[in-house]
Amino acid sequence: MDISTRLAPGLCLKNPILSASGTFAYGEEFSRMFDLSLLGGVVTKGISLLPKEGNPTPRVCETPCGMLNAIGLENIGIDAFIAEKLPFLCTFDTEVIVNFFGTDEDEYVQMAQRLNIDGVSAIEMNVSCPNIKKGGIEFGKDPKILNRLVAQVRKSTTKPLIVKLSPMVTNIGEMALAAQEGGADALTCSNTYPAMAIDENTWKPILGNITGGLSGPAIKPIALRIVWEVSRQAAIPVIASGGATSWRDVVQFLLAGASAVEIGSFSLRDPLCFGAIIQGLIRYMQNNGLESITEIIGRLKTA
Amino acid sequence: MEDCNALVKDNRQVARDTYLMTLACELSPFTPGQFLMLRLTGSCEPFLRRPLAILSCREGAVELLYKVKGRGTSLLAGKQKGEELSALGPLGKGFSDPRPDEEAVYIAGGTGLPPILAMAERIGRGHMIIGAYTKDDIPLWQRMQDIRGVEITAATEDGSMGMRGVATQALDDLLKKLQPPCVIYACGPAGMLKAAASLAKGFGARCEVSIEERMACGFGVCSACVVRTTTGNQRVCIQGPVFDAADIEWGQ
Ligand SMILES: Cc1cc2nc3c(=O)[nH]c(=O)nc-3n(C[C@H](O)[C@H](O)[C@H](O)COP(=O)(O)O)c2cc1C
Ligand code: FES
Repeated sequence: MDISTRLAPGLCLKNPILSASGTFAYGEEFSRMFDLSLLGGVVTKGISLLPKEGNPTPRVCETPCGMLNAIGLENIGIDAFIAEKLPFLCTFDTEVIVNFFGTDEDEYVQMAQRLNIDGVSAIEMNVSCPNIKKGGIEFGKDPKILNRLVAQVRKSTTKPLIVKLSPMVTNIGEMALAAQEGGADALTCSNTYPAMAIDENTWKPILGNITGGLSGPAIKPIALRIVWEVSRQAAIPVIASGGATSWRDVVQFLLAGASAVEIGSFSLRDPLCFGAIIQGLIRYMQNNGLESITEIIGRLKTA
Repeated sequence: MEDCNALVKDNRQVARDTYLMTLACELSPFTPGQFLMLRLTGSCEPFLRRPLAILSCREGAVELLYKVKGRGTSLLAGKQKGEELSALGPLGKGFSDPRPDEEAVYIAGGTGLPPILAMAERIGRGHMIIGAYTKDDIPLWQRMQDIRGVEITAATEDGSMGMRGVATQALDDLLKKLQPPCVIYACGPAGMLKAAASLAKGFGARCEVSIEERMACGFGVCSACVVRTTTGNQRVCIQGPVFDAADIEWGQ
């Protein structure tokens, strides 16, 4: 049976299960709980040119079947990442996908250049973080701006380039095509949804940042719809992100058109979920006589 | 650190809104201050685990002491003998032992009792102060009395038990009677920790504080739980929850 999946020329995952950015840090803590070589790939916390401190606390809040976060992209910066974290990640038999962001075009380009090094399997460009004032989401809202930014980054790297889209647009298909024409190899659909929580006793917002991004099972039906819509329009592979918790969810995302699935918030709750999800997928394929996951990807029956 | 099945053996009220839960669970040895992330259900509601400090862990029995504050803790209070939870831990960095020459002082306020009582029981010498609003908020009074070698003082804001006032006033009084070297272990509301840290500094005592911050993962990957320190943000769940009070930037 073949559960490998191809995301770009030169980027083939041994299985379709990835960690998600921001819920896996740089892999060290999880590596104490299971062998990271089990994963199709590791997606790192979003990295920037300079270290970033992030937002005031409280930074998270539980919501029905999900959570809000407003971490504010706290990260150690590219220098420390390359010196202290990347060598460790390279010791595992898994693909290392580095998530990154910038506050302007020049920073995105510089980041892509700095990450064009051995040990990095692919880069995932975040144009969709709802929790910072500058950078992130405003690049992901206008197709022309996105197209230009992706094209600039494309010229600066030979690595497979994944663009992580924001769900907060009127026409996500249009954004997907803008990224594809700019030279993206694959698309991650998608980031969190701007949302908030209020304490009715204190009349105050619960998050220090007032608003945050909604993730977890609560957003899964929307993520499914987005993956389906984008994969019908774009010619490049789609990576699903949003609420996956089980092999069932993974099969559903594959049917909707995803070539791989990131497990984010759920791994904060169940850090050992990855192995069970991969095993569940294999068993599902055995039980249904499926030889390859390409027999599932995009095979939704709509007629 | 492992994810273990935890069977509820006992769960009973021991003070106002406060419960003592005993779980059958094979944990690795813990240090007071360390905690568990408890998964309350097999479904996605509630979605996140809840951090709870470990009160004791002996021969496969783990004790947790908690106050009902929100949805998670009320769910926990409703758990009956025989129900199964899942426990990730022991997590975080606990208190360090006192040096042989150091006098040990333990101070707890609000929901800060479990790690402090765990530490007093482990070390078995020194002075312990427990602060609460009123007498009915103080759990396990007899058990605290029974720790040989530890002298207990209660401070209640309404004066219904022990001295009238807050725990840090009792600490101030106590320190006047002690000689350095001395180490203070504190857990409670931020205001109490800050006051304890400042008293410790004035007295020339070492002070370790166990800090509470809202968590998501509890094992260091999401950066939800940061506290400002002299060397930048640190994650309370993995670099703490116990910190040297001198390293914390206390703010206003
Ligand atoms: C605590 C937290 C931090 C996150 N940090 C990032 C980040 O740094 N970069 C990014 O592109 N996405 C970030 N995300 C979004 C996730 O990668 C993921 O796209 C989103 O949470 C939806 O998937 P999920 O429901 O499986 O969590 C973060 C999410 C959470 C919950
Ligand atoms: S709660 Fe996730 S890093 Fe501390």
